[in-house]
Amino acid sequence: MAKHPHRETDLQLMQRIGWHRVKAVEDRAMQRNFWKAFAFMSPAIVLVCGLLLMPVVYNIYFSFTKWKKFAGLDEFAGFSNYAKLPGNPYFDAAFYNTAVWVAASVVFPLAIGFGLAVFLRGVAFGNLFKNIIFLPRILAPTAVAVIWFHVYAPHGVLNSLLAMTTGRPVDIGWLYQDNTVTPAIIATFVWQSVGLVMVLVLLGLSAIPKDPLEAARVDGATNAQAFWHIVMPLLMPTLVVVTILSVLSGFTTFDLLWVMGVGYPGQRTLSLAVYMYFESFQKGSWAFGSAIAVIIGFVVFSVTWIQTVMQSRVDKMTR
Amino acid sequence: MNFKTKLLSLAFAGLMSASVVSAYAAEVTLVHDKAFWAEALQKVGDAETKATGVTMKQNAYSPPEQYKAYMQSSIAANDPPDIFTWWTGGVYEELIKTGAIAELDDVWAEMIKSGEFSEGVRDFYKVGDHVYGVPLHLSRWIVLYNKADYAKAGISEPKTWAEFVSNAEKLKAAGITPFVATTQDGWRGFIWFEEIMLRTNPEAYMGLHTGKVAYDSEPVRNAFKIWADWYAKGYFTDPRSTEEVADFAKNKGSMNLIGDWAIGLVEKAGMKPGADFDAFIMPNMDPALPSSTILEGGPIMVSKKGMAKPEVVNALKYFVSVDGANVWAAASGNALGNSKANPPNVIVKKINDEVAAMKTVSFPRWWEAVPADLQGEMVAELNRFMLTPTMETAESVMANTQKLNAAYWAEKQ
Amino acid sequence: MVPATRQINFAAIEAKERASTKKKWPSVIVAVLISLIWVVPFYYMAVSIFKTHAEYTANNPLSLPAGLSPIVDNAISAWNTAKMGAGFANSALYGLVGAGLAVFFAAMAAFGLTRISFKRQNFWFMLIFAGTIFPFQIYLIPLFFAYQKIGIINTHFGMLLFYTAVCIPFPVLVLRNYLNGLSREMDEAARMDGASEFCVFWSIILPNCIGPMTATFLLQFTWIWNDLLFSTVLGNREEVRSIMNSLQIFHGSYTTAGPNLSLTAALIASLPAIVLFLLLRRHFMEGMRVTGV
Repeated sequence: MAKHPHRETDLQLMQRIGWHRVKAVEDRAMQRNFWKAFAFMSPAIVLVCGLLLMPVVYNIYFSFTKWKKFAGLDEFAGFSNYAKLPGNPYFDAAFYNTAVWVAASVVFPLAIGFGLAVFLRGVAFGNLFKNIIFLPRILAPTAVAVIWFHVYAPHGVLNSLLAMTTGRPVDIGWLYQDNTVTPAIIATFVWQSVGLVMVLVLLGLSAIPKDPLEAARVDGATNAQAFWHIVMPLLMPTLVVVTILSVLSGFTTFDLLWVMGVGYPGQRTLSLAVYMYFESFQKGSWAFGSAIAVIIGFVVFSVTWIQTVMQSRVDKMTR
Repeated sequence: MNFKTKLLSLAFAGLMSASVVSAYAAEVTLVHDKAFWAEALQKVGDAETKATGVTMKQNAYSPPEQYKAYMQSSIAANDPPDIFTWWTGGVYEELIKTGAIAELDDVWAEMIKSGEFSEGVRDFYKVGDHVYGVPLHLSRWIVLYNKADYAKAGISEPKTWAEFVSNAEKLKAAGITPFVATTQDGWRGFIWFEEIMLRTNPEAYMGLHTGKVAYDSEPVRNAFKIWADWYAKGYFTDPRSTEEVADFAKNKGSMNLIGDWAIGLVEKAGMKPGADFDAFIMPNMDPALPSSTILEGGPIMVSKKGMAKPEVVNALKYFVSVDGANVWAAASGNALGNSKANPPNVIVKKINDEVAAMKTVSFPRWWEAVPADLQGEMVAELNRFMLTPTMETAESVMANTQKLNAAYWAEKQ
Repeated sequence: MVPATRQINFAAIEAKERASTKKKWPSVIVAVLISLIWVVPFYYMAVSIFKTHAEYTANNPLSLPAGLSPIVDNAISAWNTAKMGAGFANSALYGLVGAGLAVFFAAMAAFGLTRISFKRQNFWFMLIFAGTIFPFQIYLIPLFFAYQKIGIINTHFGMLLFYTAVCIPFPVLVLRNYLNGLSREMDEAARMDGASEFCVFWSIILPNCIGPMTATFLLQFTWIWNDLLFSTVLGNREEVRSIMNSLQIFHGSYTTAGPNLSLTAALIASLPAIVLFLLLRRHFMEGMRVTGV
C-alpha cells in the first residue's frame, strides 16, 4: 500500500467524504428506475424473447438432434446434420442459387433503380413515370408472383409478345426449365423492387445541397467529376442501406419462389429458404431443416455485421 | 402500480384465451388434408350427427405436406388427433411404428361379419398382424375416355395392349391428342411411369419398392422408351397445364389415366359419367398376365387416445356402414369397399363388375409404395422427364433416381 | 420540439425538378418504353379480370376483353372459391391488432429506454433489437412445434401473438431514435408536477409520437397483410387463414379456376394495401425514408 501513495490518498479521500454512501443511494435509485423502466419494456421483452429469441435457441438445439418425423428429438447427433450439408446435391444447388439470387438482387435493383432515378429526374412527366415504376411495390409479393406466374405461362404474355415480335409461335416454359427459372423469378423480384431503390436514391439526391455542386462547376469540374466526387460520397449512406436490405431480402425471399416455382421440378433447389421448408415441412427432416435454418441465419448474421462495419466507415467518410 | 396491474391483466387475458382454445373439444373431429372433399366429408358428418347424436365435424389441413408436418409434430408432442385420414404404404408403416395408433382388429371383425366387407380389403390395411385403418376411399386407377372422341376416331375400349396403342394412334391421326397428363401440384409425375411399368413388367414394378430392382435397370429403361416414344409422337397434352380436370373435360386430351375418385370432379366440370365419358382398365402388354389395376386406398385411422372415446369409435363405424358409405358416395363419388352400399356412379359400377368377372388383382400405387423418404425427390425427377420428355432426360432421371434409391437402401442395411 | 425525422416536401422537390427538366422528347420516349415493362403486367391484369375463362383461353392474353360484365362473376367466384371474406377478416384482425399492439408496446419500450435512466440500457435495447437480425426461417420449426404443443397452432390468438412479437423490434428502433431527438422539457416538467411515469408516457410522449407511430404501424400492417410464410406454417386452417394464404387455393389441387380468377383474387387481396397506400402516401414515404424498408 505504501508503494502507491496516490491511490491510497484518493481512496482515503473518497472514504472521508462518504462516497460509498452516495454510490449506494445512487445504486438504489438506479435499481428502482430499472424496475420502472422494465415495467414499460416488459411486454416487448417478453414477446421478443418468447416468440423470437427462444425459437432461435431451440432451432439451434434441434439442429444437433436426430429429430426426423416422429422421433429422435431426444437423441444427440453432434454436427452430423451440418456434415451432411456440403456435397448434398440439393443443398449445393440451393446454395448456389441463393448466391446468384443475392448477387442479382443487389446488383440489378441498385443499378437499374439508380439509373432510373438519375434519368427520370431530368425527364418531362418524370413524376408519372416514377409513380408507375413504384406501383408494384404496393402489391403483395404473393400477388406479384401470381401475375408473373401467368405472364411467364406457356400461353402467357411474354411468349405471346415474343411471338408477335418474331412472327413465330413461342412456347417457352419459363418457369419450368433449369436455365430460365431463376432468371425469370429474379426479373420479377427486380421488377418489384426497383421502384423502392429509385425512390430512396431520389430522396438521397434531393437531400444533397446544391452549393458544393455549383462551387465545383465554377471551379470547372465536369458533370462526371462532380457526380463522382460530390454526389456519390453524399449518396453513399443510402446506397449502403439499400444494398444490405437487398442482400437480406434476396436471402430470405420465400413468397416469389414458393408461388412462381410451383411447377418447376427442382423447386427445392431454388434457394436455401425453400430447401429448408421442403426438408422440414415436407420430408419431416426437422433436425436437418433446422441445420439449414442455422446456416441461413449465420450468413444473414455475417451480412448484418458487415453492414455495421461498412456503415460506420461510411459515417466516418462523410463526416 | 396501476400500470403493473394492467400488464398483469393483459398477460392473464392472453393465457386465458390460450387455454380456452385448447380446452375446446367435446365432439368428434375428423382431421384430414382433403380440402376438396371437405364439404362431402361434412355431409357424412351431418348424417352421422343425425343418426347417432354425436356431433361430427371435419377439419381440413392443406396442402398434404403441411398436414404431414402437423401429424408428425402432434405425435412427437404426444397429442395426436383422435381420428384422421392418412395414406397407405411407407408413410402408413412409419406412423404405425410410433405406437400412437390404435389397432382396429375388433372393428374389422364386425365389418367382415356383417358381410359388407371382404377380407381382401381388410388385408389392404394390415401391417404385420394387425389392421390399423378403415377405408376412406378405395380407388382403382383407370383410364377415363371421351366417348365422342372414340366415336369420331371409330375406335372402342381396348382389350389388348396392341388395341390400346392403336387407339392412341388413330386418335392422333384424327387430330385429337390421346392422353391428358400434367405435372400439376408436383405429385403427378409418377402416374404414367407407374402404369407403363405395371403393364410391361409388374414384377420389376414391385421390385422397385424393395430396392431389388434398380431405377436404371432395363425394365425401367424400357418403360421410359415407351413413354418417350409416345411423347415424341405427340400423344400427351401440355405437362405444364395447371388444369388437369379441365383439360379432360374440355377435350384437350381424350383419355385421362387417374384414380376413379376423379370421376366426380370431371362430372362437376360438366361431363356426364357413362354418357359423355366412360372408363376401362388399361390392358397388359403380355396378354398372359392376369388383369390388374393400381389400387389406392386412403385410410381413416384412430389414435390410441381416440380409441378410448366411444364416440370416436362409433363415428368410425358409422362412416363405413351402408348408410355412411351411401352418403359419402353421393357427396364425393367415392366408394369405400362396402359391398352392400350403392356404387357412387355408373362408371365405378361398371369397373367393379369387371373386376369381379376378371378376378382383377390389385397393385399398390407407386406414391405409397416408394419409400417415403424418396417420394418427393423422385417424383420431381419424373416430372422433370415429362417437361423435357427425351431419352436423354430419361437417362439422367434414371441415374438420379437410382442414386437416391441406392443411397436409401444402403443406409437401410 | 425538433423532430428527428425531417418532413419531406415533395411539392418543393418536384418544383425544383420541374425547373431543371430538360424538355427533350427523345428522353420522354425512352422513359415511355422503359415504363412499358411496368405497365404491361398491370395492363394484362386489368384486361384479364374482365374475361371469362373461355374468353381468356381462346384469345391472346393481351387482347381487350369483349365486355366488362365478367368481372362480377370473376369477383364473386374468386371471393367464394378462396373464401376471401374470412381471409379478409383474419388479415384485417392480424394487421390492425397485431401491428397496433406491436407499435404500442414498442412505444412503451422506447419510453422506458429513453426516458428512465438505468444501468445497461444498451443491453436491453439490443435484446429487443436482436429480434430483427435473424432470418424468418430460423423461427419456423420451433414455433410450429411449440404452437402445436400448447395448442395454439391454427388459432387467431397464436397468429396474433407471433405477428405482434415479430413487429415489435423494428418500431422500437425507430421510436427510440425519435424519442432521443425529442426534447425532454415537457416530460421533466410533468414529473416535477408529480405525474406518474405512466401518465407522462400516456399524455405527453404518446401524443408526440403519433407521426412515427403511424409510419411504422403502416409498414408493419402491410408486412402482416402481405405475409405468406408464417400464415402458411402457423395458420393453415380455413377459419384462421390469412388473405395471402387463401390465394394459394388457386394453385392447389382440383380447382378448375383459370388465370382470370386467380388474377382477380390477387387484385382483390391487394386492394386494401393499395387504398391504404394511396390515402396515406405521405406516411408511407416518411416511413420508408426513416427506415429504408
